[in-house]
Amino acid sequence: MTGPGTLQSKKMRLPLIIIFFLLAQSTRSQELFSATEPASNRAVGSIGVRVDNSIMDELNTSKINYHLIPEIMLGISKTLMVSGDVFFSNRSSVFRSEGGSIYAKYRFLSNDEVQKHFRMAGFGRISYNNSDVHQEEINMYGHNTGVEFGIVATQLLRRIALSSGVSFLNATDNGNNNKFVYGLNNRKALNYTLSFGKLMLPKEYKDYKQTNINFMLEFLSQVNTGSGKYYMDIAPSIQFIFNSQSRVDIGYRRQLSTTLLRTAPNGFFVRLEHNFFNVL
Amino acid sequence: MIAISISLATKAQVSKVYLQASGLTCSMCSNAINKALRTLDFVDNIDADIRTYTFELSFKPGSRVDFDKIKNKVEDAGFSVAGFVAAIYFDNVQLKNNQPVTIGGNTLLFVNGKDRALNGEIRVKLLDKGFVSAKKYKTNALASLSTGEGIYHVTL
Repeated sequence: MTGPGTLQSKKMRLPLIIIFFLLAQSTRSQELFSATEPASNRAVGSIGVRVDNSIMDELNTSKINYHLIPEIMLGISKTLMVSGDVFFSNRSSVFRSEGGSIYAKYRFLSNDEVQKHFRMAGFGRISYNNSDVHQEEINMYGHNTGVEFGIVATQLLRRIALSSGVSFLNATDNGNNNKFVYGLNNRKALNYTLSFGKLMLPKEYKDYKQTNINFMLEFLSQVNTGSGKYYMDIAPSIQFIFNSQSRVDIGYRRQLSTTLLRTAPNGFFVRLEHNFFNVL
Repeated sequence: MIAISISLATKAQVSKVYLQASGLTCSMCSNAINKALRTLDFVDNIDADIRTYTFELSFKPGSRVDFDKIKNKVEDAGFSVAGFVAAIYFDNVQLKNNQPVTIGGNTLLFVNGKDRALNGEIRVKLLDKGFVSAKKYKTNALASLSTGEGIYHVTL
């Protein structure tokens, strides 16, 4: 006899089994995560062009928030990359630019072996946004004005890439006289991330033209250092790499749990990226 | 400088370099190395085996093959060299104990193969920092030996 309780637990278990199956398969992996950045850096002299699209479902309304973030990334040295981006969204009822950010990442530890590495990097972002501050969550990628800095460690081991980061965020008032209205003591937060990546296809590399397919699973969390409130999200995604030069990520981000006020935590994201090597 | 002044004048040239890159498993990473190596003016052609992360480099005739520049290109792409083998064509070079051999601007210090004649294509493996994995470098007891520019410890 199968009671309703066991049915429920079987339903819960199935996605976990699928996830472990995907992570345990014997192919090689990737670390080009969708929702976080790995400790590895860009090739010297390369330029990457990225377009991030988020289609987020605003809670308690029928509105869809669309965020568009075009970005340009430069490989300055073997240990340093910088990038700049512009934030667009339709949150204020018209689609308009709301600001931008500058990001830098410095790789300070690299321990390479054939088909594996352990690396660590420090990163920072300075962000400007002139939209209204509409949630307790602090987000330097299209919502708040402020700074974020942290460290990330990435372990690549043949078929699996595992990465984890911690960063400190400090929000200030947004532009256009849009104040941070959730309390002076609640402008600071810590972000914790944990990312798994796995190369699904091809089973064996033969040439650079082969399309790579990666599966990513990421956990994204924030704890406000003032209020102690938190959120925890899960973000699975599928990534296609074409011609060893271009990539398309398609993912879904979903809130698992929160005590922070958030307006649109759930939605789809699509990232388009193309890399030009040896151009700087 | 001492090494250069007493080194043998040789008739020899580097015909190929085989290098294995480390720290990567993705084709986009391998492609970054491939494209970086192609920017070296003395490189004629590159055969990349992305299954084993190995690159076979051939060179323009008469050009100086700069091992350091090759290694630096791999590092600039964001990765490391785990193995570096040079195929060198020797024309009857007598190898004597501890005596350096100069080949097209590179000075080689052989750590084995004493007192033998080198003839035809012979592969030598570089042992210096950056040309082997960090782990191997620590264990091959060369850590205390420093070399100047263009001077390399090699093994047959």
